[in-house]
Amino acid sequence: MENTFDDGLIDSIFKLVWSRKATETNEDTEVVNANTEAAGKSKKNRPTTANSRALKVSCELVRIFVTEAIQRAAMIAEAEGSRKIEATHLERILPQFLLDF
Amino acid sequence: MEVGEDAIASVKTDNSERADLLMDRFRLSVIAISEAEADLLMDRFRLSVIAISEAEAEKLGMEISKPVAMCIADLAFKFTELLAKDVELFAQHAGRKSVNMEDVILSAHRNEHLHGLLKSFSHELKGKESTTIKKRRRPSLK
Repeated sequence: MENTFDDGLIDSIFKLVWSRKATETNEDTEVVNANTEAAGKSKKNRPTTANSRALKVSCELVRIFVTEAIQRAAMIAEAEGSRKIEATHLERILPQFLLDF
Repeated sequence: MEVGEDAIASVKTDNSERADLLMDRFRLSVIAISEAEADLLMDRFRLSVIAISEAEAEKLGMEISKPVAMCIADLAFKFTELLAKDVELFAQHAGRKSVNMEDVILSAHRNEHLHGLLKSFSHELKGKESTTIKKRRRPSLK
């Protein structure tokens, strides 16, 4: 709990992804929209937003993602008698880890 | 007459070509700006992942090598991107333009344990934010 992500950071990453997606889909319909843009533009093209609670939960989700990866890799490292988490340990847990998220 | 029409036509095509050119240049600069922004975000994200993972490893009495932390940071970034897409789709499906807590929780529905964790986290958040305590009678599960 003491160490988590910044809400603003996650928010801006989300917004980046959404705006990227929006421009991708808009490019196809841009020609059509150019003629009929005058009406109904504000409603249709309004970007997606996230409320503050949703952002907090997203931060928690990504935090759990990171800590879970560390914990699983640490388990393997410990089983091998190593004090340091190396890339091979991460490799071992990766398939199941990615299936779980 | 014909010459005039031709001239107008050529001006029109000229203009539209110029507009296209301007549009392309505008697009390129927008792309460049957004890419720089994306890099910045990525770096900030990496730094916080590294901080979190080092703290977590310390808690477990372990050390973590730099490449592993970087790998996890990249994984987490990709995960966040996927999460953003999922959550947007869920909100759109519900006919909303803003993402709710429920959308985020729904995105973890495949993993029951994770789903439960996020649910309890959201209840905690609700409890913290609403200072007026609403007591809800719940049938005790036995």
